[in-house]
Amino acid sequence: MSTRIHAALPHKKMSNLEKKEALTGYLFVTPYLIAFVIFTGIPFVSAFLLSFLNVKYITKLDGLKFVGLKNFVRMFASEETMAALGRTAIYSLIYVPVIMVLSFGLAYLLNKGVFFKKTIRSMVFLPYISNMVAVAVVFQLLLGPRGPFYLLQKFFGVEDPVLPLLSLKWALPTVVLISVWKSIGLNFLTYLGALQGVPVELVEAAQIDGASKWQQIKNVVLPAVSPTTFFLLISSIITSMQNFTVIQALTEGKPGQSTVVMSVNIVRTAFTKYETSYAAAQALVMFAIVMVITIIQWYGQKKWVNY
Amino acid sequence: MNLRKRERIGKWVLTIVMLVLGVLCIYPFLFMIASTFKPSGDVLSTPLQLIPKNFTLMNIETLFNNEYYNFGDWYWNTIVMTGITLLLKLFIITITAYGFAKIRFPGRDAIFLVLLAGLMIPGDIMIMPRYIIFKNLGILNTMWSLILPAAVDVYFVFLLRQAFVAIPDSISEAARIDGCSHFTIYRRMILPLAKPSITTMLLFSFVWSWNDYMGPYLYISDLNKQMLSVGIKLFAAGQAQDYGAQMAGATIVLVPVIVAFFFCQRYFIEGVTSGAVKG
Repeated sequence: MSTRIHAALPHKKMSNLEKKEALTGYLFVTPYLIAFVIFTGIPFVSAFLLSFLNVKYITKLDGLKFVGLKNFVRMFASEETMAALGRTAIYSLIYVPVIMVLSFGLAYLLNKGVFFKKTIRSMVFLPYISNMVAVAVVFQLLLGPRGPFYLLQKFFGVEDPVLPLLSLKWALPTVVLISVWKSIGLNFLTYLGALQGVPVELVEAAQIDGASKWQQIKNVVLPAVSPTTFFLLISSIITSMQNFTVIQALTEGKPGQSTVVMSVNIVRTAFTKYETSYAAAQALVMFAIVMVITIIQWYGQKKWVNY
Repeated sequence: MNLRKRERIGKWVLTIVMLVLGVLCIYPFLFMIASTFKPSGDVLSTPLQLIPKNFTLMNIETLFNNEYYNFGDWYWNTIVMTGITLLLKLFIITITAYGFAKIRFPGRDAIFLVLLAGLMIPGDIMIMPRYIIFKNLGILNTMWSLILPAAVDVYFVFLLRQAFVAIPDSISEAARIDGCSHFTIYRRMILPLAKPSITTMLLFSFVWSWNDYMGPYLYISDLNKQMLSVGIKLFAAGQAQDYGAQMAGATIVLVPVIVAFFFCQRYFIEGVTSGAVKG
């Protein structure tokens, strides 16, 4: 059915049958649309409004004032918030490359033909559907002072065994790696789906031409799955910034401030310090950063994505 | 012959490497499940035993039967919350998707485009406005503050619309001519035909609702109304020395999802590999 006919509909006189059809259509979608406006539409618009107001204590709306860019100026002047922004950057800069390379590598190897393919596939996917908080309890024990990781380091004669989640230096990278472990299943399966769509003849032709394994991957396989890489890159960058649950479950921002990233900072500003508008401004900046990165990727894709 | 043998050996080597990586992925789960049935003192014993030497059910008993934490309440709350979310989604998402896929009405495509734009909105930006809205609707500190936003998941409206569009119009149009109403076609023809897509939606929705932490953490304040994700953290912090009980807690939280995964692997995995679920 073409869109053009549709657009013309309201101008023409509708027959009774068409009217009845349209009415049924509205009846089907209206309940959803109302709920969508209440729980997504209004919150999204108010997120913008809040950032330019002076709301405190979340729901105290008297003495409301438009303060312009004050919240944003304050944000960029705050050392604490800038440090959190820096940690988010570090988080993303580790998370995105690691998850991209590992998920492709695993999918590539699995696709090359192994026994127990389905079992291995499920094993890698399992962390994705598990509850982060429950899993965090296990990791805290495994990586804790009496856990196997500590004992293993001692066993190998490491002089200062590290407690990764309690170390100022290692806590952030550790959290990132656990988060990679948790989410890799989705990227891995998506890659696997894409790899299964790469024509075998293409790879075989390269083989016959004497291309090395690395050349085959670089010149045949990677270009063939580049749309998937593009999609996963964008979604992984977004995931890497929405990391509140991972951090809160594993370290709650500790030790010190070493794992306070923007998502944690925003929630604290809003729900512990009750600076609603200031928190909204921070969230809006994060949204803008994601948008800018996505747009840059969108224009950059022409150079490396083959459709 | 020699080549084939070498290939076989290569395949086995790769298999072993991948199996080791796979076991590494599920090691925390193995450790957790094994520890559930060990006395706390044995949990961190070296060398690690995967099969409990002193089998016990004491930890599960501690979980549901202790003075401080109502693990049972949290469990029940999470079951009810997830159950209502799924029922609501099963109805509202499918009927909306049908409306956008099979019924002609003015403005349909424009409205759908606006919904699609909603896919781009990151959840983090809406946490405070939603708090204000929940408060005004009087659903703050109730499970409805978790259920209702989950029920308007745009993502699955989009997916199911795709699935419904793929079902040929000729089928529904023939039924229309025979005088069937849209609701009958939706219920008798489209829903049964799109069962795999709907199952995928229900499974992923189950996992997401069951595992949600941020929602209950921000919007539910009463301890007895809490959900498992928040509860397990409180419990683990409270029973800091009782490793066995902690692991039992983690296991019990994970069991429903793991069971669902074992029985419906096909839908989970095909949902992703076919490109249906992304994110």
